[in-house]
Amino acid sequence: MNLWLGFLIGLKEIWAHKFRSFLTMSGVILGVASLLSMFSLTAGMAKGMREYMQQVGGIERVGINTQEVPAEEEGYWEISPGRTVADAEIIARSAPLVSHVTPVSQINNAAIQRTNQTFRGEVAGCWPDFIPINKHTVAAGRGLSDLDVERGLRVCVIGRLAVQKLWPERPKDDPIGETIRINDRPFKVVGVFEYYEREEDKRRRELGAKAPPVNRLSSRPGGGGGGIGGGRGGGRFSPFERKNLTVIIPISTMFWEFKSANMVGKEDQGPQLKLDALTFQVADTNRFEETLEQVHSLIETTHRGIHDFTFDTRQEWFDAIEQNVRNTRMSGGLIAGISLLVGGIGITNIMLASITERIREIGVRRAVGAKGRDIFVQIVVESAVIGVIGGLLGLVASTGIMQILIAISPEANAPVVELDSVLISFGFAVVIGVFSGIYPAWKASRLDPIEALRYG
Amino acid sequence: MPLIELRDVTRRYLIGEQEILALNGINLDIAQGEYASIIGPSGSGKSTLMHLLGCLDTPSSGTMHIDGIDVSRASGNRLAELRNAKIGFVFQNFNLLPKLTVLQNVELPMIYSGISAQERNKRALHAIERVELMNRIKNTPLQLSGGQMQRVAIARALVNRPKIIFADEPTGNLDSKTGATILQMFRELSEEGSTIVLVTHDNKIAAETPRRIEIRDGRIVEDALTEAAFA
Repeated sequence: MNLWLGFLIGLKEIWAHKFRSFLTMSGVILGVASLLSMFSLTAGMAKGMREYMQQVGGIERVGINTQEVPAEEEGYWEISPGRTVADAEIIARSAPLVSHVTPVSQINNAAIQRTNQTFRGEVAGCWPDFIPINKHTVAAGRGLSDLDVERGLRVCVIGRLAVQKLWPERPKDDPIGETIRINDRPFKVVGVFEYYEREEDKRRRELGAKAPPVNRLSSRPGGGGGGIGGGRGGGRFSPFERKNLTVIIPISTMFWEFKSANMVGKEDQGPQLKLDALTFQVADTNRFEETLEQVHSLIETTHRGIHDFTFDTRQEWFDAIEQNVRNTRMSGGLIAGISLLVGGIGITNIMLASITERIREIGVRRAVGAKGRDIFVQIVVESAVIGVIGGLLGLVASTGIMQILIAISPEANAPVVELDSVLISFGFAVVIGVFSGIYPAWKASRLDPIEALRYG
Repeated sequence: MPLIELRDVTRRYLIGEQEILALNGINLDIAQGEYASIIGPSGSGKSTLMHLLGCLDTPSSGTMHIDGIDVSRASGNRLAELRNAKIGFVFQNFNLLPKLTVLQNVELPMIYSGISAQERNKRALHAIERVELMNRIKNTPLQLSGGQMQRVAIARALVNRPKIIFADEPTGNLDSKTGATILQMFRELSEEGSTIVLVTHDNKIAAETPRRIEIRDGRIVEDALTEAAFA
């Protein structure tokens, strides 16, 4: 007996007991649907995270952070000047493995205004290298130049959301050459960054289906934490909001205009030349450790041997996220797999009931020449057909579940249906179908033809 | 050489601790083209004998040859092949598959002998024509009368061109008039050259067959020609 015929017999059997078959299948349907939804959910999470990580500088971006000095250096740690522009200069001069470096001095809650439009946000004083390190792209005008830094010019490059906040009447224009005020100092806009968004948002926007970015302004100034998934309940949150609100000025201007005095009470503590951030980009990620060593020895000299700094690499962060995604996938897959397994037990149960009903049929088939093997194949194929149909319906059902998930999960993590997930989920259903049939099939194939003919 | 040859065949069953000797030293030859009946009261061993002859079972001891093939110790798969190729069954309760149509029921044995769909169809139609049910091929068995069902069963038994046809109480579930037409059909098949063994407990039916084998307590007590042989 060939498989195709077995398949047809299986279909017929299922059709003859429509309701019962559907109930049996429902376990598989739900199992497959939850498995595929699970995979898609984690794939969406992973994709959102990877995109975000790339947009915030990728793995090649390294920050130099301050840290508590080790115990043995505690008595004289004051001899270290801390993070200063000198660190950036020595890295720029003497670390060939570093492709870009920038010092950052910033004000966190600057009043940024133009005529009667105001918002409060971060302003970063930096070098031109800030732009490549943080994966910024200048869409109009120019970026910062070395000359801006050298001369301490009052120029700025601003993100698209900042433009929208300051020029709400013409959010799409590039206000090059116009003047804005940062903490009451006038700055000339020399460049505008491009609008950063997730790939699918971009596609959707280009198709003209979704609202333009103008309407996606969040009411929260400063862009919140900029983390992933923090936007749940906050409306149309974009992980790139903070990046789109970037305002940068030359670091020299920052020092000159905003950091030359530091009033604590009534006393001036003098200029604030310590940096808020110091970041660089590794030229070749294959020589990551080597690059860190190179930078380490340079900073060690500028900090006079005090180990008050540490590297904030994203390697571990990236690894941790990938690990997390794998773990979530595994445990979620396991749970969904168990539900599919339960569906399989349902199939086994119903197949056992079904062969009991059909003992005489089996006897007749044996009498006219069916071998035990033929009966075995027939039952397994029937059970596999339940798995196949259940699997297909499960895939259909998962599109519904996916809609619910899309509605309730943060947009950044919108589920992504990958072909392998579909194949794995469906394949698993088929495998479950086949395996569930094996025991009933084995029982049926071992029935004694004489007894089977006498039955009932 | 006889088509069926049994030598000192016994068949024992274990029921719990107790051993039951269902067949006790059977010697039997059935030649090609014979039309024989096996008769005996219930419990006589006639069903066991039919199961052996029909390759549904193997003897506990003794030898059995069918068409020259020693089946005394054949495996389950070998027996299935022999049933498929050499034996046709007709049962008292018809044993048609209720979900299949008449045509599909008749095609059933050929499914297990690897015959192409086209050839299956052709041969099934031919067999159905032989039992005069061409107008019923799309019906399911439950839409047929008892006599029609038994004719479908006969078509199914014929379709693989078996060496021998076994009929186990073929008229047991039919009224006497319908039963007579079925017996008439067997007679015709016999005249066309088929080998037929008919199992019954009814002397009137046994009297219709040229050879009458009577079995009692697991032994053949009489094996003789009937008046029908000389008709």
